[in-house]
Amino acid sequence: MQTILVFALLGLGSGAVIAAVAIGVVLSWRGTGSFNLAAGASVMVAGYMFWAFRTGFFRFTLDTWPAVIATLAFMVLYAVVIELLAVRPLRTASPLAKLVASLGVLLLSQALVQVIFGTAPLASPAVLPDDVIVVGDVPVPVAQLILAAGVSLLAAGLWLIYRFTRFGLATRASSENEVAAVLAGLEPSSISVMNSILANLGAGMVGIAAAPIVGISATTIPLLIVPALAAALFARFTSFGIACAAGLAIGVGESLIFYASTKPWFPNRNGVALSGVQPLVVFVLIVVALWWRGSSLPQRGDLRERSLPRVPKQEQLARRMVPMVAACAIALVVLPSEFRQAVVTGLVGTVLCLSFIVIMGYVGQLSVVQLALAGIAGFGVARLSSRYGIGFPLGPLIAVVMALIVGVVVGVSALRVRGVTLVVVTLAAAVAVEKFVFANPDWGGGQTAVTVEQPSIFGVSLGTDAGFRGLGGDLPSPVFGLCALVVTAALYAFVANLRRGELGRRMLAVRSNERAAAAAGVNVRALKVAAFAISSALAGVAGVLFAYDFGTVSTSMFDVMTALSVVASVYVLGVTVVQGAVLGGFGMVGAVVPLILQKWVLPQNQVGLYVQLLIGAGLLLQLRFYPDGILIASATKRERRRVERLRGSATPPVQPANQQGVAA
Amino acid sequence: MTTSALSVDGLAAGYDNGPVLHGVSLYVAPGEVVAMLGPNGAGKSTTLRAISGLIRMTEGQVRLAGSDLAPLSPSARARAGIAHVPEDRGLFRGMTVAEHLRLGPRKEKLDADAAYEYFPALRAISGRMAGVLSGGEQQMLAMARALARKPSVLLLDELSLGLAPLVVERLLPVVRTYATEHKCAVLLVEQHVHLALGIADRAYLMASGVSSSSYDAHVLRNDMTLVQASYLGGPEWASEFEDESKLPFIGEEAQE
Repeated sequence: MQTILVFALLGLGSGAVIAAVAIGVVLSWRGTGSFNLAAGASVMVAGYMFWAFRTGFFRFTLDTWPAVIATLAFMVLYAVVIELLAVRPLRTASPLAKLVASLGVLLLSQALVQVIFGTAPLASPAVLPDDVIVVGDVPVPVAQLILAAGVSLLAAGLWLIYRFTRFGLATRASSENEVAAVLAGLEPSSISVMNSILANLGAGMVGIAAAPIVGISATTIPLLIVPALAAALFARFTSFGIACAAGLAIGVGESLIFYASTKPWFPNRNGVALSGVQPLVVFVLIVVALWWRGSSLPQRGDLRERSLPRVPKQEQLARRMVPMVAACAIALVVLPSEFRQAVVTGLVGTVLCLSFIVIMGYVGQLSVVQLALAGIAGFGVARLSSRYGIGFPLGPLIAVVMALIVGVVVGVSALRVRGVTLVVVTLAAAVAVEKFVFANPDWGGGQTAVTVEQPSIFGVSLGTDAGFRGLGGDLPSPVFGLCALVVTAALYAFVANLRRGELGRRMLAVRSNERAAAAAGVNVRALKVAAFAISSALAGVAGVLFAYDFGTVSTSMFDVMTALSVVASVYVLGVTVVQGAVLGGFGMVGAVVPLILQKWVLPQNQVGLYVQLLIGAGLLLQLRFYPDGILIASATKRERRRVERLRGSATPPVQPANQQGVAA
Repeated sequence: MTTSALSVDGLAAGYDNGPVLHGVSLYVAPGEVVAMLGPNGAGKSTTLRAISGLIRMTEGQVRLAGSDLAPLSPSARARAGIAHVPEDRGLFRGMTVAEHLRLGPRKEKLDADAAYEYFPALRAISGRMAGVLSGGEQQMLAMARALARKPSVLLLDELSLGLAPLVVERLLPVVRTYATEHKCAVLLVEQHVHLALGIADRAYLMASGVSSSSYDAHVLRNDMTLVQASYLGGPEWASEFEDESKLPFIGEEAQE
C-alpha cells in the first residue's frame, strides 16, 4: 500500500507537466480560439533555454534566478513571435487551418531546438530543492510535490483572473462572441496576445522547474500534448481546475501503471512487462471523454464565416496522368540506384498522402493516424511471412485489411466528433499504436528492424531483388518500382475519380456542413466510416509498399513526428487535390526532394530534421499567403481566369473574392 | 454637416459575393432618432455594419461628429462612441447580466445603474446567464448594455426581431427617451414600420442598396404610398432618382 502511495507521488512530477500543457491548451482555446498542438513545445523550449543560460551554451553562464528571468523573458518573446507568425494572420481562417498552424509551430520549434542544441536529451541543473521527505519508510523527492503544488496554484490563479478581472471577462467575451466583443470596443487580437504570453509564461515556469525531473528532450516533451489533450477534453477546453486535476491524475495513473507492470500478474512476455500500456490508456481515456462530453465541446462564435479550402475538379485525368507515369517509368529504369530508390519511396509516399486527401481533403476530418496504419500493414506483411509463412499475394492483402480494421475502429470511436477534435483521437491512437504495437517485439519491431520477404509470384520476383536491374545494373531492381508505379497510378486515378462521383459529392457535403448533409439524406456516420475505410486501406497499401521498398520495417519509420510532418507537407501543397499527394509523397524523407537537398544543399546528416524545419516554416508561410494550399491557390487562379475569359467584356469583372477583412 | 453626430456619404460596401450598397447617404443629428425602412435585402443591416466597421466599405465616407471613421478599426469605432446592437443581439451566452454591464475596454466605465433604471426588470435577473434569458430579456440586456456605454451614436438593428409586439412597444420609448435626454443620435433599422415611425423624427427609405432622401416621420406616417413603393417598387420610388444608373438592379431588369 505504501509503495503505491510512493509511486502515486512520483507520478506527480510528470503529471504536473501534463497539467501545465493541458492548461496551455485551454488557455489557447479560450484566448485565441486555436487548438494548440504546440503547447507541449513551449515547455520544451523553456527547458532548453534555461539549460542553455545555466550551462554557458551561449558563452555566458547565469545564476539560477537571472537564468529564470532570462528564460521567462525569452518565453514572452517566443509567445509574441508565434502570435505574429502563426496566430494573427489566421484569425479569420478555418479552425483546421489554425490547428495546422500550431502543427507548423510544433514542427518548427522541435526541429530548431534539435538543430541548435542537438538531439541528445540533456540534464538540466536543478531549480527546486532536492530534499526528500519520507513517506512511511520510502523517500520521496520534495520537488515533485512542489511542482504539483505550483501547477495547481497556476490553475487557481488563472481561474481567479478569468473569473474576476476585466481582462478575464474580456477574454471570455471575445471567445464567446467575437463580433459582439469587437462591437463592445474590445481588441480580440491584443487579448489573444496577452493569453499567449500567459500560456507561455506558465509553460516556461513549469519547463524550468520540471526539466531536471522529467529530463529535457525534444522528442518526448512535445508529445506530452497527447495526455494533455485528454485532460483538456475532460475540462471541455474551458475549466483550468479540471484540466489541472486531470493532468495530474494522468501522471499519477501512468506512474501507477508503471508500478503495476513490475507485478507478476501484469501481462508480460518472458517476464518482460508489456510496453506502451500508458498511451493505450490515454487513448481509451480520450475516447471515453469524447463519448461523454464530445457533443458539448464549446464552439467559438467568430467574426466571420469560415471558409474551407476549395476542392478543384479533376479534369482531363488521363491526359495529365500519362506523361507523369511515363516519366516515372523511364526514371525508374534510367536513374542511378540511389535516385531510383528515392523515386520508389516517392511513389509509396504518394499513396500514403492520397489517404490524407480522402479523409482530410474530401471529408474535412484531420486524421494523423494514417502513418501508424501504414505501420500496422508494414509490420503485418513482415510478420505474416516470417511467422506464418503467408507471403505474396495473400500476406499484403491481409495486412491491408488489418490496417483497414484498425482505421475503422479509430474512426468509429471518433464518430461523435468532427473536424479538429478528431485530431485528438487520431493523435492519441497514433501514439498508442506506436508504443503498444510497434514497440512490442512480438507484434511490431521492438528495438530492432524486421526484414521483409520480397514479393514473388510463380517464382518470378516482383521485389527490389528482381533480375532486371535497369541501366546501372545495381539494386534495387526497377521491377518493384514499376509495380509500385502501377499501384500508385491506379490509386491516384481512384482518388481523383472519387471527387467526381456520387460518393465524393456526399463527402464534400459532409465536409461543408454535417447537419445540412444529414438533412439532405446523406448518412453522415456511414459516410465517415466509409471514408475512414478508404483512407485506411490506402494507408495500408502504402505500408505494405514501404515494407517491400525498404526491405525492413522499424518503429522509427512510422513514428508520430514523421506522421505530423507528412500531414503538414500535404497541407502546405494542397490537401484537397490529388496532385498535392504526389508532391507531398516525393517530398517525404527518403524520397526525391529530400535526397536532392541532402546531396547538394543541406548538411549530410540530420536531413530529416532540416526537412522538418523546411516543412514547418513552409507551412507557416503558406498559411500566411495561400491559406488553402499552394496548388489550390494556383488552381483557383486558373479557374478564375478561365471564367473571366468566358465572360469576356460583356459583363463587368467580378469582384475579387479576397477583398474581405475588417478595416484595419 | 459638422453638426450631425453621424453622417454617411455615398457609402458603397458589400460582402465577398458582391456589392450590396451602391450609394447610401444619410445623417443623424444629436438627440435625433432616425429610422431606416425598406424591404429585406435592401441593405439596411449592411449599412449599420459598414458604419460600425464590421464590413469594409469600398467607397464613400462615414463621419462621426465630423471626423472620418475610415482609418479606425471596428473596436476603435466602438470606443469612439458608436454602440451597435446587431440583429443577433450580440450577447455572450455564458456571461451573467451583471457581467455584461461590466464588460468594456480599459478606459470605459459602464453605467450599470443607469441601465437598471431604464430596464428595472434586469435587476432581478442580474445573476443569470444571458443564454437562459427570454428573447425580450435578451433584447433588454442588449439595449441596456448599449445605453450603459453612454454612446454618442446608437445603431439598432431589428430590435423587434422575434419579439412580441407588446415587448417592442415597451422597448422603443426607452430609445426615444434616451436619445432626447443624452443628445444621442439613434439610427434605427426596423420592420415594424408604424412602431418605428411612431418614435422617429425622420426616416430614410432604402431599396436595392440605395437610400432615398430623408422624410419627416409624420409625413410618412400620414402617407404610406412612398413606403409601400420602396418595399414593392413603383413610380414613386423610382422618381426618387433622376439618374437611373444609381438604381443598378432595377435598371438591369428594365434593360432585360
